[in-house]
Amino acid sequence: MDKKSAKGYLYLLPSMIIMICFTIYPLIRAIVMSFLGDYSIINGSYKSIGFDNYKALFADPDFAMSLKNTTIYVVCVVPVSIMLSLIIAVLINSCKKTKALFQTIYFLPYVTSVIAIGIVWRWMFNSNYGLINFMLGLIGIEPIQWLNLPQYAMPALIIFAIWKSMAFNILIFLAGLQTIPEDLYRAARIDSTPKFRVFTKITVPQLAPMIVYSSVIGMIGAFKVYNEVFSLFQGKAGPANKAMTIVYYIYDKFYNSYKYGVAAAGSVVLFIIILIFTRVQLRVTGGNKK
Amino acid sequence: MKLKKFGAGVLAMAMAASMMVGCGETAPATTEAPAETPATEAPATTEATTEAAATEEAPAAEAKSIEATEITFWHAMNGNLETVLTQITDEFNANNEYGIKVTLVNQGAYGDLQTKLQASAAADALPDLAQAYNNWLTPYIDKVVKLDDFVATDFDNWDDIVSAYRDECSEFGFIHAVPYNKSTYVLFYNKTMFDELGIEVPQTWADVEAAAKTVMDSKNIAFIGYDDLAGAVEASLHQNGSDYVDATGALFNDEKGLETCEYLSNLYNNGYARLVGEDGYFSNVLSNQMIASYIGSSAGVSYIKAEGWDLGVAPIPGNVAKAANMAGTNIVMFSQDSNKQLAAWEYLKYITSTDAVVEWAVGTGYLPIRTSAYETDAYKAYMDENVCAKACYEQSKDFFFSPTFDASNDIRSTVPSTVEQLVYDKADAQKWLDTIVEAINAQY
Repeated sequence: MDKKSAKGYLYLLPSMIIMICFTIYPLIRAIVMSFLGDYSIINGSYKSIGFDNYKALFADPDFAMSLKNTTIYVVCVVPVSIMLSLIIAVLINSCKKTKALFQTIYFLPYVTSVIAIGIVWRWMFNSNYGLINFMLGLIGIEPIQWLNLPQYAMPALIIFAIWKSMAFNILIFLAGLQTIPEDLYRAARIDSTPKFRVFTKITVPQLAPMIVYSSVIGMIGAFKVYNEVFSLFQGKAGPANKAMTIVYYIYDKFYNSYKYGVAAAGSVVLFIIILIFTRVQLRVTGGNKK
Repeated sequence: MKLKKFGAGVLAMAMAASMMVGCGETAPATTEAPAETPATEAPATTEATTEAAATEEAPAAEAKSIEATEITFWHAMNGNLETVLTQITDEFNANNEYGIKVTLVNQGAYGDLQTKLQASAAADALPDLAQAYNNWLTPYIDKVVKLDDFVATDFDNWDDIVSAYRDECSEFGFIHAVPYNKSTYVLFYNKTMFDELGIEVPQTWADVEAAAKTVMDSKNIAFIGYDDLAGAVEASLHQNGSDYVDATGALFNDEKGLETCEYLSNLYNNGYARLVGEDGYFSNVLSNQMIASYIGSSAGVSYIKAEGWDLGVAPIPGNVAKAANMAGTNIVMFSQDSNKQLAAWEYLKYITSTDAVVEWAVGTGYLPIRTSAYETDAYKAYMDENVCAKACYEQSKDFFFSPTFDASNDIRSTVPSTVEQLVYDKADAQKWLDTIVEAINAQY
């Protein structure tokens, strides 16, 4: 190691120490914990070593439901959010005068607390007084019991989450739009290319790196969904727990049931799922070539 | 294995920190003590006093001398409750002869306190005193100080404490806590609506069904709701002379259990009872006159806004027997140092003395933990004006508490969602019984 890189490592040291203490070490501990049966976090005792926690985990219908819910959530929220964000970002970008204003408006959800937003959305979803049912009423749709009936728990959560996650994507796409060379658009204008073709042939390909980035970050975040559930359903996992997600399950097992090993096993499973999905995603989109 | 413990602590903290980001924003989750504590600084350094006291004498010795020290007390009392607690604590801090200073630390809501205690138990950093429910303590019950000797040698009449509270505080085979902010479930009802429809306050299940039919026929709204569904199942079973659960499993898979399920399922299937759903708590529903009555904690009375109607409060209806859920926490001691234990005990004695209990009860609406407090003129006068306090007192002989054992936390969290699903499915009584019994037994 030469002198120059030694200096570099020295600069890295503080953040490395923090990473090791609060990320790497807990990660390893969680993996170890997941193999210890009846593990007690209080005195470190355990009754067995093996796959008992994983067996309990996969035998638990609640975990199966949380896996299913989380998958539905990811599959719905991430693509829809990205598509809508892309359209909105292009619209905002096309009108130079109001750009700053709308940029701020659309970014507000990102800097607002999820809990506060949850309270507002709870009102919008209210079956009697809510804005959403009022608007649906205008087009002749009967009021929907969004937060009262199990079958609407996931749809309500997904709508809420799409709106919530758009703020960040719009910001990324707006930044990306600034980097597209003006020449390309000028050339398109000369050829009088239709607007839609400009969008699909110039804007989208040019924004590809941002879209990949947003989808990877968005997907990882979506797999870890917890705050949205907590705030929309007032600390519960929806009617009859029908909006239970993996992280909610882990949290519940850890803090309410004191099943530390099972919680750790759940977090390892989540870790593996995210790892696989991210690999697949990067391969499909070619994001790991560089 | 110091390192191991440290690791466990860090892990718990990290998990708490990363997962609680969202929740932290709702509650006033200040970890700082209220700024009002008087400036009576502990004179000697704690280090020195600890050393001295440790070698000096056993906790409950005759001639006691307590070195000045500081005691931390973690609680989850907010708003007015915190004000009253601070007031009582300030009185203690100013007047105790030993220079003991109790510092109150507000940990937010009960859930936050539970989480924080658990993480601190893992990190070996528990406070001297904390409010806690029995079922929080199972993982770290060996860190709780046994209070039997203190109670035996230095407490003004343990028998004066309401017997159900004494039983709850010795559930683990020793006295592990002193009761403090106790409440019970009562029936809150819309008195104006009852009068208008000529309904008497229901005493029995049959009364509930009859009244519910009247309300449904004329108002087309539900008659009753339960804030705590697990508590409702448990109380209803007791009211029907049946047991609920113990460390071996569900105890009601029989005729009495079926009768209980029949009562509950009929209420829901006929629309006589409803779930709280998006309204969160029934206090909101009752306030909006969308329901005629509900059963919930007496501590929730301040959330009911009776505008344009009168609130009535009554003991909860029974069937072959009366049974009323107890709620609210007790105070446990974790100090390992004997001087701190003595100091903390002084504080506990003070806040559970008859006068302080009356001050607390009148100020907050929590129930007195002492029989003698009920006899004081101050509390009698309070009961004359306060319908809720009166209803609580009337059913105080019917109190029961939920037993704590390994699976009890899982049962508490499983039963409500199971019942909700049964209500959505409009299941019959037999299905109720089978499903609930199965859900409970799956937790062992």
